[in-house]
Amino acid sequence: MTASRQLHIKFFAVLREQAGVSTLAVTTSARTPTELYAELVATRGLTLPAALLRVAINDRYTTMDTPLSPGDRVVFIPPVAGG
Amino acid sequence: MFELTGQPIDSTALRARLARPDAGACVVFEGWVRNHHAGKPVSRLEYEAFDELARFEGEAITSEAEQEHPGCTVLCVHRTGSLGIGELAVWIGVVSPHRHAAFLACRQVIEEIKRRLPVWKKEHHSGNLAEWVNCTTESVAGRLAPENYYARQASLPEVGAAGQARLAEASVLVVGAGGLGCPAALYLATSGVGRLTLADAGKVEVSNLHRQILFTADDVGAAKATVAAARLRAQNPLVKIEAHASDVTPANVRALVTGRTAVLDCTDNFATRFLLHDACRSAGVPLVSAAVYRFEGELNVFRPDAPGCLHCLWSGRAPGELEAVANCAGAPVFGPAVGVLGVLQAAETLKLILDLVPPRNPPATRLVNLLDLSTQAIERPADPACPVCGNPVSAPPQRTDLPDSAPVVLTAEQLAALGPVRIVALLEPGETLDASTAPAAAMALPMGDLVSVRELAAQGGPLVLTCRHGLRSAALARLFRAEGFRRIYSLGGG
Ligand SMILES: [Zn+2]
Repeated sequence: MTASRQLHIKFFAVLREQAGVSTLAVTTSARTPTELYAELVATRGLTLPAALLRVAINDRYTTMDTPLSPGDRVVFIPPVAGG
Repeated sequence: MFELTGQPIDSTALRARLARPDAGACVVFEGWVRNHHAGKPVSRLEYEAFDELARFEGEAITSEAEQEHPGCTVLCVHRTGSLGIGELAVWIGVVSPHRHAAFLACRQVIEEIKRRLPVWKKEHHSGNLAEWVNCTTESVAGRLAPENYYARQASLPEVGAAGQARLAEASVLVVGAGGLGCPAALYLATSGVGRLTLADAGKVEVSNLHRQILFTADDVGAAKATVAAARLRAQNPLVKIEAHASDVTPANVRALVTGRTAVLDCTDNFATRFLLHDACRSAGVPLVSAAVYRFEGELNVFRPDAPGCLHCLWSGRAPGELEAVANCAGAPVFGPAVGVLGVLQAAETLKLILDLVPPRNPPATRLVNLLDLSTQAIERPADPACPVCGNPVSAPPQRTDLPDSAPVVLTAEQLAALGPVRIVALLEPGETLDASTAPAAAMALPMGDLVSVRELAAQGGPLVLTCRHGLRSAALARLFRAEGFRRIYSLGGG
């Protein structure tokens, strides 16, 4: 059974530009960051490969297959190297 | 070149000795004997040098200037003996293809001569009074009293005289004299970090000037590390500033990093970041790393003694792949964003030296956004299976999307079929090379010495890693395979 859950998403760096917003509240049936990112690729036109991102849930880095819970704060962080 | 002479200095003859057809500039400094000093009239001077030492030190000063300002030829002559008012006490001439380098080198030589040359002068005042003055008190550094320079900082209860002494004993390497490195190095120098080395192989470009605040329009075309070092010496002559105007490589990284109190990663690429990280980890030096994308930046402090490293963060992703999405040369950047992040790097470094990091602060990536002025800490848990800082219980699966997907883990038969190979046994602390667990041909390296592994892998030819249980060697071999080293293997393992 797939319940939908409300999540708060934050984008960093190039992902923020691609998404066009820095924060986003979504109601989604995605169960993991991998599924959530796939949805965002479809709806917001994100282009970075998921394998090159890091994700944080509730201010802590975690893996892309961690189960999402309602109310989670999700941050997608791409590699950054400008100096 | 440096000379001491008891004869009057003939500046015309000296200038002729510097003539060079490719020289477009000659900058000359002449130090004259004047008729007053510190409010007292002076009738003549007597210079006395510690001869051997003065020649040695003078030669060191002029050759340092020639090395740091490529293209410059330096000649410096210092008088000894009795001199009348208006006579030449010291003459410095610098020729160079371009004037900017000549001005910088000339200024550097006179300041270093004043600071370091073992020369004393006896001032004869009108009347019969005479006194010996050590010339080093006349350098800019000699005129600045540290207790005045650092007064407003040392009076912080968190710093104090003890903290200021710790800063003076600290040695910090800043890699990258760009948008991050300029402000970071500026604050480290003015705060009194005793020894500061700037490493950057680049030259100043016009498009750097909007954010790389140590450089002026005159510096375009000059070596960044050299110009930045000269600028910082002028900012604080009380600290020792060194320039390393070439790349940081696997061959030189250990020498640059070892013995430092901290290293700052102000680079713009993942390859150097990984190299610095690994070298710092094995040398036991904290790495303060930052990176910027347009209006946003991130800050990480990697402590060598704590789990949670750069590999935990980006494990299995090759620097080249990360680079491709992280940055491209000429990318847009908001000047104050690199400024803020560079200053944060300096602050974190000073806090490390002064022991002001709050206890039990979990390692975190600090994200900073200059558009909405938000900052966010992302806690950075260690990956328990990290091949570098953790304990791999099973090696991560081999990636199949890489150009060479030959097996990483070899059996003894596959090893024999490989032909001549170099075998490296990775040893835990206290472990010795043991014929029962490592092949006879193996050379030994400490487990943490990723810099040497990287160096050996880069030499080409098959490289086989082993370790007691084969797990860490397999995990490390996969990590290096993902970085693009195609001929690295592990003997046995998960
Ligand atoms: Zn790690």
